[in-house]
Amino acid sequence: MSIVRQKTVNNMIKALRLNAADNVATLLGDAAKGETVLIISDQNENLGELEILQAIPFGNKVALRPMKPEDQLIKGGVAVGKAIRQVPQGQLAHVQNIRSLNLDIPEVMINEIITQMGIEVD
Amino acid sequence: MQTFRGYQRADGSVGIRNLIMIIAADECAEGIARAISEKTPGTIVVTNYNTCMYGGNEEMIGTMINAATNPNIAGALVINMGCGSITPDLVAGPIRATGRPVETLTCIKESGTVSTIREGLKRIAAIVEHANATPMVDAPISKLFIGIKCGGSDTSSGMASNPSVGLAADKLIDMGASAVAGELLELLGCEHILKDRAVTPEVFEKIEQLISDEEKRWHVEGTQVETMSVGNSIGGLTTIEEKSLGALAKTGSKPIQDILRINARKLEKPEAPGMYLSETTMLCGGSAMHFAALGCQVILWTTGGAGFNNPIVPVIRVSGNSQLINEDIDIDATGIMRGEDSIENVSEEILKTLTSVINGEKTAIEDFGYAYCSLIQKDQRVERLLSIPAE
Repeated sequence: MSIVRQKTVNNMIKALRLNAADNVATLLGDAAKGETVLIISDQNENLGELEILQAIPFGNKVALRPMKPEDQLIKGGVAVGKAIRQVPQGQLAHVQNIRSLNLDIPEVMINEIITQMGIEVD
Repeated sequence: MQTFRGYQRADGSVGIRNLIMIIAADECAEGIARAISEKTPGTIVVTNYNTCMYGGNEEMIGTMINAATNPNIAGALVINMGCGSITPDLVAGPIRATGRPVETLTCIKESGTVSTIREGLKRIAAIVEHANATPMVDAPISKLFIGIKCGGSDTSSGMASNPSVGLAADKLIDMGASAVAGELLELLGCEHILKDRAVTPEVFEKIEQLISDEEKRWHVEGTQVETMSVGNSIGGLTTIEEKSLGALAKTGSKPIQDILRINARKLEKPEAPGMYLSETTMLCGGSAMHFAALGCQVILWTTGGAGFNNPIVPVIRVSGNSQLINEDIDIDATGIMRGEDSIENVSEEILKTLTSVINGEKTAIEDFGYAYCSLIQKDQRVERLLSIPAE
């Protein structure tokens, strides 16, 4: 691998897909709206690039595939939530479009999270 | 890794360290125990700091006794003041039954503190001699039992250190070793996954029951169950399942053989190799003593940058937090968070370090800065309210 190529990859924000079954990847840096991120696997393989639809901070998730209401959010190979509206590819998958399968966060808390994070709700 | 070089105990277990426990059966004996320990290398003091009464402390004393039968312990000296109801023989009997040499001393019968220290030094010399004569063997990996715990968790725990430890645990179980995790409160919302992993419906029922008991202990009725904070969500966690899953990741993906109870009545131990859950506390200091009591020779511990340590069971610390990682951490998983390293690679690093440590090499801060050997027990009055029988 040439140094130039490595630098290009290193400059791009990466998002980690933990399991091959996952439909989300977790951002390893703060990405701005419209920025292209590099999706990597848990084996550190390059899985491709994805343009993100709104700012996604470190530790948050981007949808790798479109989801429709009731579709499960899969992370680490396991269902950890479900979509409550259309989630396009590249969108932030979080409290504005995903709910728990078991026990929801109170609605006031969800609104607080949306406000504090400045999430764009479509 | 097929075998490890360890100390053969009379009960069939194999230790990776060769230590002697000095037990202060009541807190008044603590100074005596420390005075003897200071002059005797290789000894660890464990003190019942709570009360000198046995009634209501059965769970704690059970943990203390079982910790003294940990494979890493060669023998024990049990000391009490003599006016409480926890007699040295009550503690020493079950330890002696495992074939370990045990001596007992009661301060008021030995004409006081100075005499007890003098006599204790004499008695412990014989135990040291016995410990030094312990045969070393190449033990099969099936004799290895690993505690798995997280502490000081942050965003990197669920993404880097926990999945790496989980993958290492899967590989260790494939090799024939056993492992155990606890922290049941952190498994709320993971029940549907545990249902698939439990070996039988009965084991799953037991897991569900013990998680529910733990939830009741920590959450006062009438208040909202604290499962997620706004901070958790800003950090990127969307649902309770996702949060719990990050914690569960450190247990890997192998079937769960059983959930081991630690209560006033019993302390369960594994009956077959594999992955286990347990009632090991989420509080780090006390958890190490629970792992010691369950029979774990070593702990894999994931964190940000905290240097948690225990003198009986060596702790291998794993961190993926590049801001907090320091010289206390044995395994650097920060490369995963930068997208430059893989979970697979870090799991191999964990196995490499584990292999060294179980063959006698020291961890980053072994012999330094230990946590107190806290003996945690659940509130016995709450246990009664939960209808968990004490007898």
